[in-house]
Amino acid sequence: MASPSTTADAVAPRSSPGDDNYLTHDKGIASWAFTLDHKRIGVMYLISVLCAFALGGTFALILRTELLTPGHTIIDHDTYNQMFTLHGAIMVFLVIIPGIPAALGNIILPLQLGAKDVAFPRLNLASYYLWITGAVLMLTSLAINAVDTGWTFYTPYSTTTSTAVVPAAFGAFVLGFSSIFTGLNFIVTIHKLRPPGMTWFRMPLFVWALYSTALIQVLATPVIGITLLMMIVERTLHIGIFDPALGGDPVLFQHFFWFYSHPAVYIMVVPAFGVIGDIIPVFSRKKIFGYKFIAVSSLAIAFLGFLVWGHHMFVSGQSVLAGTIFSAITFLIAIPTAIKVFNWTATMYKGVIHLDTPMLYALAFLWVFTIGGLTGVFLAVMSVDVHLTDTYFVVAHFHYVMMGGAITALMGGLHYWWPKAFGRMYDEKMGRLGAILVFIGLNVTFFPQFILGSRGMPRRYYNYLPEFQHLHMLSTFGAYTLGAGFLLTAYFLAKSLKHGKIAPANPWGGTTLEWQCPSPPPYYNFTKTPVVTQGPYDGYENLVYDEKIGGYLPRPNKAEA
Amino acid sequence: MSETTSEPVGEPKGGQKHDGHPGHDHPEEHAGHGHGDAHAHGNSPHLAHHFDSYQQQFDAGKLGIWLFLLTEVLFFAGLFCAYTIYRAMHPEVFVYAHYFLNTTMGAINTCVLLISSLTAAWAVRNAQLGQKSLLMLNIVITIACACTFMVVKYFEYSHKFHDGLLPGPRFHPTEQVWEVESFKLKHPEAAEYAERLAKAAEEKKKKPAAAVAIVPGTEQPTFEKPTEEQLEPLVKAGLIGPLSEEPGGISRPKDAHVFFSCYFFMTGLHGIHVLAGIGVWIWLLVRASKGQFGPKYFGPIDYAALYWHLVDLIWIYLFPLLYLIH
Amino acid sequence: MADEKSETEAKSEAQSAEPKAAAKPHAHENHSQENGHSDHPHDAGHAGHASVGEHVHDHGLAHTMPIPLLVGVLGALMALTLLTVSVTHYDLGSEGNLVIAMVIATVKAGLVVTFFMHLLWDKKFHLILFLTALLFVVLFLSMSSTDRSEYQPRIDEYSQTQAP
Repeated sequence: MASPSTTADAVAPRSSPGDDNYLTHDKGIASWAFTLDHKRIGVMYLISVLCAFALGGTFALILRTELLTPGHTIIDHDTYNQMFTLHGAIMVFLVIIPGIPAALGNIILPLQLGAKDVAFPRLNLASYYLWITGAVLMLTSLAINAVDTGWTFYTPYSTTTSTAVVPAAFGAFVLGFSSIFTGLNFIVTIHKLRPPGMTWFRMPLFVWALYSTALIQVLATPVIGITLLMMIVERTLHIGIFDPALGGDPVLFQHFFWFYSHPAVYIMVVPAFGVIGDIIPVFSRKKIFGYKFIAVSSLAIAFLGFLVWGHHMFVSGQSVLAGTIFSAITFLIAIPTAIKVFNWTATMYKGVIHLDTPMLYALAFLWVFTIGGLTGVFLAVMSVDVHLTDTYFVVAHFHYVMMGGAITALMGGLHYWWPKAFGRMYDEKMGRLGAILVFIGLNVTFFPQFILGSRGMPRRYYNYLPEFQHLHMLSTFGAYTLGAGFLLTAYFLAKSLKHGKIAPANPWGGTTLEWQCPSPPPYYNFTKTPVVTQGPYDGYENLVYDEKIGGYLPRPNKAEA
Repeated sequence: MSETTSEPVGEPKGGQKHDGHPGHDHPEEHAGHGHGDAHAHGNSPHLAHHFDSYQQQFDAGKLGIWLFLLTEVLFFAGLFCAYTIYRAMHPEVFVYAHYFLNTTMGAINTCVLLISSLTAAWAVRNAQLGQKSLLMLNIVITIACACTFMVVKYFEYSHKFHDGLLPGPRFHPTEQVWEVESFKLKHPEAAEYAERLAKAAEEKKKKPAAAVAIVPGTEQPTFEKPTEEQLEPLVKAGLIGPLSEEPGGISRPKDAHVFFSCYFFMTGLHGIHVLAGIGVWIWLLVRASKGQFGPKYFGPIDYAALYWHLVDLIWIYLFPLLYLIH
Repeated sequence: MADEKSETEAKSEAQSAEPKAAAKPHAHENHSQENGHSDHPHDAGHAGHASVGEHVHDHGLAHTMPIPLLVGVLGALMALTLLTVSVTHYDLGSEGNLVIAMVIATVKAGLVVTFFMHLLWDKKFHLILFLTALLFVVLFLSMSSTDRSEYQPRIDEYSQTQAP
C-alpha cells in the first residue's frame, strides 16, 4: 500500500528546539495549571503518577527491608500495617489505575486519532485536579494516623479501627471520579474524533485497549464510589449496613468492593495490553498477527472481568453456589488473555526484532505476565485457593500481574513515547540496562514469594518462622535491584530532558498516526488532519531508517520522484 | 458500530481551517486558559476549537452525558442492591417502618418532580427552537419544582428527626407504630389490638407478677382470640411472633433502624442530586438570559435535562420502594 | 426579535407533525399502565415521520419534541402515580404488591426514558449503553442477592445458637 502523501509533509523534520510545540507554546506556571491541552495534562499526570510511584516504591522497599529478618528489623508492627496499606492504596489508586490511561493515554490517544484534543478538555483538567485532591486526601490520612486496613478497606475492621480511614477512603472515592471522567472522555473521543478513514478496525491496539478500559471505568467505578461512601457513613454514623452488630452484613461489603475492584484489575492491565500491542509490531518490523482478535479480546476481557468478582471471596463466607459460578467464569478469562499472548508471540515470529528499550520491556512483559496470568488460573480453582488464600502465593501472583504487567508496560510505553512527548532521546544503553535490572529485580523479588506462599507464609504478616528467612532475604535483594533499576531509569530520563539528542519525528519507525506529527507535537498536534488509508500496522516496508536524523522517513516513492 | 454514520467523513476536518496558521498564530487566545473555545472558529461562537461542526460537538456531548448517566445508574445500583438484600432478608422491618413515612408527601414530591421533568423536556424544545423567553420560563418552573421538592423533603426529614426515626444507635422512635396515623387508617382493628397488648404489657410491668396471678380473669376477658385482621398486620410488621396465639410481648422488629439507614441514604443521595440539578439549572438560566442558546447550540440544556430526567427516574423507583410497601 | 420569527416558523412546522401524536397521549391519561405499552408501536411510527421532518427543519441537530406529546406523557405519568398509590390499598399477596409497584414504576421509567429523554429518536448506541447499564445493575443485584440468600441460613443457624 502506498504511503499516504500526508506522511511526507508531516514527517518533514521541523523539531529543532526553537520550533513552536506544546511544551514551549505558553510559558509560566499558570499556563500549565490551567491548560486544557491534552498533552500538558498528560505530562502533569505523568509527573504526579511517577511521584506517587516513587512514594509507593519507597514504602515497598522499607517493607521488604523490615522483612529481612523475622520480628523487628527497622519498623514496628503498627507502622508495618500502615505502610503496606498505603503501599497498596497508593500503587493501586494513584499509580497503576491512572498510570497508562491518564498519563500515557492523555498524551498519546488524541495523537493516535489525529485529533486536536480529547472530546472534553475541561473535564480532562477537572479529572486531573480530582486526582490531586484524592492524592492529598490519602496523604492526609498518612499525616493524621495512617490507615491500616489494607487497601481493600474491609469491614468491620475499617469501621472500627482507630486510624484515619475516612480521609483515605474519601481519597479513593474522589480518585474514582477522576478515573470515571478520564474513561468517559476517552470513549467519546474515540467515538467522535476519529479522523476520516479511520474505521474501528483501523484503530491502533492502544486505542482499542483504552476503549475497553474506559468502558470498565465508566461501568464499575461508580460502584466503588457508593461502596466507599457507605463505608464512610457506616464508620461515622453507624448506619448498620455493613456492621453485623447493627444488623448489617460485612460480606456484602466484599461483594460491593470486588464488583469494582476485580474489573479494576482489568482497568490496570488492559491498557498494558494496548501498549504491548503497539510496541511489538514496531520493533519486529512486522504487521501484527491477528489484529482483530487482539482488539476484540480486550472487549471480551472487559466484559468477562465483570462476572468474576466473587473469586476474591472463596473463603469469605460466600456460598458454595456463588463460588462455583465465579470460579468457572474465571477460567474463561484465560481464553481472551491467551489469545493476546499467542498473537504477540506470533507477530515476533520471523520478524526483524530490534531489541530497543521498549521492546525489552515488552518481552519482559510477555514473560512475567504469562507467569502472573497462569498462577491466576491456579487460584481460580476453589480447592487450591482455599490453601493459597492470603499467602504469599497470592501476593506473588498479583505482583506479577500488576508490577510485571501494568508497571512493565507503563515503563515500556514511557520509553516508547518518551521521544514523542518530550522531543529528546534518552541514552539507549542506560535504557536497556534499566530494563534488564527491572526484569531481573522483578523475578528475584516475586518468584521466591510463590515458594514462600505455597509453603504457607501468610501475607501481610510482620513476623515469620525462621525457615522462611532465606527466601525473604532473596526477595528483599530482588526489591533492591528493582529499586536500582527504577532509580537508574529516573536518572537517565531526567537527564535526557536537557542533554538528550533531539528526537526525530519517528525514531522507532512506527506507522500509527502519532509518529506523523513532529516530536514534540505542536500545540494543535497536526497542521493538517491526517487521512487514514491503511491499517495501523501496515506499511513498515515504506519506512527507511535515516542515519542523519536517527529516525525513520518514508521511502522515497517512485511516483513522487 | 452505529456511530460511524455521524462522523464527518465527507466534511473537511477542522484542521484545514487552521491551515497555514496553526495555534501559535494566536498566542493571545491561549494565554492563561490556553483554550481557544470561542475564538478558534472565528464566526462560530460556542463551537470548541477541536470540533469541526456543531453536529459533532453536540453528538460528543450527548454521548458524554449518556455515559455519565450510566455511571449515575451504577452509582445508585449499590444502594438498590443493599435495599434489595435487606428487604429480602427482613421484610418485616420494611413493613414496620414504612408506616412512619408520609405517603401523601411522597406522592406530592413524585408529582412535583414529574412536572419539573416535563418543563425540562419542554425547555429543550424551546432551546432548539430558539424561544428565549419560553426557555427561561420553563427553566424557572423546573427550578421552582426542584425547590418545592427540597422543601417537602426538609419537612419530612425534620419530622423524622423529631420523632427519633434515625439510623443506627440513634433510633429511638417516640411513637409506637400502631399509634401512627397511617397504621391506624389502614388497620384500625390491629391498631386497637396492639394498643391493648401494649397496655397489658405495661400493666404487667407495674404490678408484681404475683398480683396478676392472684386475680385471674380481670385481664383475661379483654383478650378474646384475635381475629385474622387484628393479627396479620402485626405479624407482617414483625411486632409479634408469627405463631403466637397467646397475647405475648409486643415490640418492634429487630434492627428496624436499617430501614431508616436505607431511607436516609437513598433519599439523601437523591436529594444531593436534586440540589446539584438546581445549581446547574440556575447556571443555565443565566446563560439562557444572555441568549446563548439556539438551534445550533442547545447542548447544555439537553444534557441538563437528561440528567434531570435521570434524577426523576430514580425517584420513580424510590417512591414505591420506600413509601408504598404493603 | 430574531428568534421570534424562527419560533413561529418552527412551530407551524412542528404542528403539522403533531395532531397524530396529540390524540393518543391524551387518551391514556385516564387509563392504567397497559396503555403505556400499547403506545410504543404508534410512536415508533411517529418517530419515522419526525426524522423525515428533521431534514426539512433546518435546525436539526436532534429531534424536537411536540408539545402535546410531552404533556400527554406527563398525564400518563400522573395517572400511573395515582394508580400505584391506590393499588396499595388492595392486598395482592405477599409478592403481588411489590411486583405491581415495580411494574408500574418500570412503565413510568420507560415513558420518561422513551419520550422525555427522547431515546426513541436518539442514536441506537445510547439505548444500547443504557440497557448495558441496566444489565450490569441486574447482574450485580442478582449475583449478590443470590449469594446472600444462599448463606443466610448459616447466619440464622448461628444466631439461633447465640439466642438464650
